[in-house]
Amino acid sequence: MVDKSTKAARGTVQCENTNINLLKANDFVADIIKKEMAKTGTLLINVTSSAGSGKTTLMQKTAEKLKDKIKIAVMVGDLETERDADRIRETGIQALQIVTGGICHLEAQMIHQVLDQFDLENIDLLFIENVGNLVCPSSFDLGEDYRVTLMATTEGDDKPKKYPKMFLTSDMMLVSKADLLPYVPFSVEAVTKDAQEVNHELEVIQISSLSDEGVDEWCDWLLEKIKQKKG
Amino acid sequence: MHETSIVNSIFRTLEQEFEVEKLNNMKAIHLKVGILSNIEPRLLYNAYEAFHMTNPIYQKVKLEIEMTELKIKCEICEHITNVKNYRFICDNCKKPSKNVIQGEEMLIHKVEFDD
Repeated sequence: MVDKSTKAARGTVQCENTNINLLKANDFVADIIKKEMAKTGTLLINVTSSAGSGKTTLMQKTAEKLKDKIKIAVMVGDLETERDADRIRETGIQALQIVTGGICHLEAQMIHQVLDQFDLENIDLLFIENVGNLVCPSSFDLGEDYRVTLMATTEGDDKPKKYPKMFLTSDMMLVSKADLLPYVPFSVEAVTKDAQEVNHELEVIQISSLSDEGVDEWCDWLLEKIKQKKG
Repeated sequence: MHETSIVNSIFRTLEQEFEVEKLNNMKAIHLKVGILSNIEPRLLYNAYEAFHMTNPIYQKVKLEIEMTELKIKCEICEHITNVKNYRFICDNCKKPSKNVIQGEEMLIHKVEFDD
């Protein structure tokens, strides 16, 4: 009688059903950032948009308006150069450039690495100005309290459905460069309808950093969120 | 757009999850990715091939990608809707919802090992 083997048959395939989230490492670090921010009550805002829609100009404008009322700092991500941080620093607030060296988005790890450069105890509002890109940054939680997406009037009002994930995960859409509305074929109503079909909770403000339109409304929104965060 | 960093994170994740010996017998990786994940399968396959040129140890491991459709579950009537044209509105009660239950995932769904 031949001994029956108790070993698993050779050549078979074992499967492990894993369901591991590919972004697990990112989300783990994002949670750490959230906890850090909770300790000091610092409001963290992730600002996203296409390249050239006015993120840095909005950072400058917001700094000018609010720097006497609250402590603001900015970290800004770009593929190369220190240009944006230089521009923001001219307003007199702390700004730190994160050079991604070709990476098209910021990841939680990059934020966490530079966090100790900031005196969070004395910062009420910390902006992350993300890499200009409506695609990849949408998948990466940076531990932010709110995600704000700029949508410039020069970009065309058909963008929300083209880049749905970004608008689905945003809390606020700022229709920027509103001063150009008389000159461009852009409908605020159409872009709002399109975006709110994706995300019915999305708030919308029409804004121009040059003409000041909507800037007070935006600053009030920020102050209100800071108040809520401080509890 | 960031397919190469996704391929890197697949292997980084698996190296954290499994022992080296086990990984040496890895045969296939099955991903489940939603259409909202911004992953383009063809580009990911290409990035996967390119990864092996500099990291030949996983050369024999196959990659399978399953795309999942976008579904929402209504918070009010619990009806499940297949989202078409990115209109996040319940088919049944016509109320908007962003309660996505499928279509956002980026999962290593299953890993196959040779005995």
